Amino acid sequence: MPRTIAVDCPGCPPIRALTFDTLGLIKVVEARRVDGNQGNVSSPKVVERWGEPNLSNCILAASIDDRRIDPLLALARKSGLIEVINPLNGDIRVSAKSDVGSDDDSVVGIHLFRRERSESSSSRSRTLLTTTTKGAATLRSLELADSSAHSSISDSLKTWRVCSSGDVSCSAVDGSECYALYGGKGVEVNVWDLEKCDKIWTAKSPPKDSLGIFTPTWFTSATFLCKDDSRKIVAGTNNHQVRLYDIASQRRPVISFDFREASIKAVTADLDGNTVYFGTGSGDLASADMRTGQIGYNLSYERKLLGCFIGKCSGSIRSIVRHPELPIIASCGPVILGLDSYLRLWNTKTRQLLSEVFLKQHLNVVLVDSNFEDEGRTPYAVTEAPSNEEHEVIQNLDGEVEDGHVLPVKRKNASKDNNQNKLKPKKKNKKRVQAEGDGRCSPFFSCSTAY
Amino acid sequence: MGAKRKHSEAIEESAEAEKDHKERREEEKTSRKRQVLASTIKNKDKRSAVYAKLKQEKKRDKQKKAKAREAAEKRALELGEELPPKKAPRTIENTREVDETVCKPDDEELFAGNDADEFSGILKQEVIPKILITTCRFNSSRGPAFISELLSVIPNAHYFRRGTYDLKKIVEYAKNKDFTSIIVVHTNRREPDALLVMGLPDGPTAHFKLSRLVLRKDIKNHGNPTSHKPELVLNNFTTRLGHRVGRLIQSLFPQDPNFRGRRVVTFHNQRDFIFFRHHRYIFETKETKLPEIKAKKTTEKDKEKEDASAPQGKTIARLQECGPRFTLKLVSLQHGTFDTKGGEFEWVHKCSEPENILPKKSWRKQGKVHALCLQDQRYCRTVVVSVKCAASN
Repeated sequence: MPRTIAVDCPGCPPIRALTFDTLGLIKVVEARRVDGNQGNVSSPKVVERWGEPNLSNCILAASIDDRRIDPLLALARKSGLIEVINPLNGDIRVSAKSDVGSDDDSVVGIHLFRRERSESSSSRSRTLLTTTTKGAATLRSLELADSSAHSSISDSLKTWRVCSSGDVSCSAVDGSECYALYGGKGVEVNVWDLEKCDKIWTAKSPPKDSLGIFTPTWFTSATFLCKDDSRKIVAGTNNHQVRLYDIASQRRPVISFDFREASIKAVTADLDGNTVYFGTGSGDLASADMRTGQIGYNLSYERKLLGCFIGKCSGSIRSIVRHPELPIIASCGPVILGLDSYLRLWNTKTRQLLSEVFLKQHLNVVLVDSNFEDEGRTPYAVTEAPSNEEHEVIQNLDGEVEDGHVLPVKRKNASKDNNQNKLKPKKKNKKRVQAEGDGRCSPFFSCSTAY
Repeated sequence: MGAKRKHSEAIEESAEAEKDHKERREEEKTSRKRQVLASTIKNKDKRSAVYAKLKQEKKRDKQKKAKAREAAEKRALELGEELPPKKAPRTIENTREVDETVCKPDDEELFAGNDADEFSGILKQEVIPKILITTCRFNSSRGPAFISELLSVIPNAHYFRRGTYDLKKIVEYAKNKDFTSIIVVHTNRREPDALLVMGLPDGPTAHFKLSRLVLRKDIKNHGNPTSHKPELVLNNFTTRLGHRVGRLIQSLFPQDPNFRGRRVVTFHNQRDFIFFRHHRYIFETKETKLPEIKAKKTTEKDKEKEDASAPQGKTIARLQECGPRFTLKLVSLQHGTFDTKGGEFEWVHKCSEPENILPKKSWRKQGKVHALCLQDQRYCRTVVVSVKCAASN
């Protein structure tokens, strides 16, 4: 029976998101306030579309540096092309063919450094880190000039191999941009020091379970748990497990728990340093507290109100992004049709679906432009940069007071608290698990010995 | 839903009728001193009498309303005014939520997506479809019969016995042998109940629930299909998901039908159920009594028309059903080939989500009433009796 009652979504606060799909299109989705009205916000719409639809243009990875002045966006295409564009108007700043364009070797991760690295002399040069399926990680330097003809991407600053065998499928760079982690099919999670370019840590696969069954390593997604701490790593496996690794304590996962029955396809950490959001291949999205490893899809737990995000999501989730200030996550169900190829926005606190946008193609990546603040002004994309500078500076100051100084301190405190609090809930958990006698949760036991 | 509809209709009623109704009710109230719900009357005779009265009242009301409507129409006609708007009945179709994903013919992104998808090679006739049909591990009775009929429906289809091979191994094998699709017929208790259609080499995997299977021999006056390439009719595959499933189905059949064979295979989508039919058709010119009877009644002008358009009488198409008849319902559509554990789903049917439950509210209500009935003592007693009987037997 078809649905005859419309499920209405409350609008979402002003937000600007960029989505990247398999046909190589970049779509800009914006939600704006209506006439400066405080509460009433229009539903998000596709504002712009950049690029020509072509299968070889498929965008595999993207990374944004959303500083207020001169923001940049780096993306890797299937054809081996690496492009750096301006996220405000879509102008291509630099475009270069990378040497990894072969058929079975494609880019899986790209990261555009926010911080200028020490080697780069002028302020206009940036650094890019790309990783391919076969495990070739490359640091490239990026020279930016006013016109695209003069700027260039150097071939490679440094290159190293992450793994000798297996396929890398996920990579991430921590908040301080000193460390990078990699994981994949047959590749244990490993952490690299980007300054010295050497491996500083490798995970160890969990032991065989009580039946003597060993599940082969297959990481599908991974991220650092909090921005300031590069020691905690959250990873999702193909075997529908979410694991927390702590470099400081041990090589085996500290916490690991199962979530439903489809492989975990995307993991994103919250700003508070203990919550993670993860999405599965069959369109389930949930959040969990990594201090306890508790998914609150059973809401009777009173300790932490966490749980699944209920919405009409019916396709695999490929990318989740947390908005840096607003309590919003954007997830994009990738794949198609009818019910998917939607961009969806959720409220993180109430776990309510705020709104959704149909984007017609299989989506690969979503990014949020955190500088977008629409208060009855014309959007960034239309206005020229110089005329807006004053506004921007003022906002810049405000923004720094807000999130540049105050928040990180808070976060640090929170993370310290976490560490202290950590032992208690876990012990409880351990007891529970032992009572159940669940063989798959064996990492709990191993972690308890380490503590 | 019925209750709701009634409620909305009641609102729509003209104010006058409502007033009348109210007045009459009030009269009733005063006459009876207090209002009694008909269902609470325990004496059956009296209860049925009250019901009969209510029914009669309702009927009278309806007649009155119809009369008023007719009178208004007549008056409008006489005065040359605009006719009062006709009420459209509420149907499931016209109260359906508007779907923004419906494919539109002017959508360039759709066509770009079509050119880039997995089936474009077959649909552009660059590749000839070659289908591998296999079964689940245990297969008997209606399963093989169904497969033999599928083989007659789909040209260039080859049946392979499943043996004990993994499906992933079969996919590998089929890729190497240049098959373009795999169909797996899954049977449960000797009855086909699911169909897995897989595009190769990297096409999507669609999992259908299969129900209401009628084989050829069970269809009355069935025909036997020829070996011509059939024509394909795909109805109502309008949304993006539908479009994709439609293209998946389309890629099973050759794109150059033999129109001489006059064989047609239909996939008709209606409210997310896909109905499969297989027909032969024939165009016949009928020179029977029909035109004569018409000629008597019609005027000369019509006669001329008929002569011009169909000099030898009327051409009609006759259908003869052949081959199986079944209904499909999509359960999941998976990106890539068969991989239930690590696969990414483009679409999964999720029944536990609240919005899917919402429209069934009225059903739930009925369920509740039913449950109350079951709690009734009389029913308990009958149940007990039946159990006793069973025990004594």
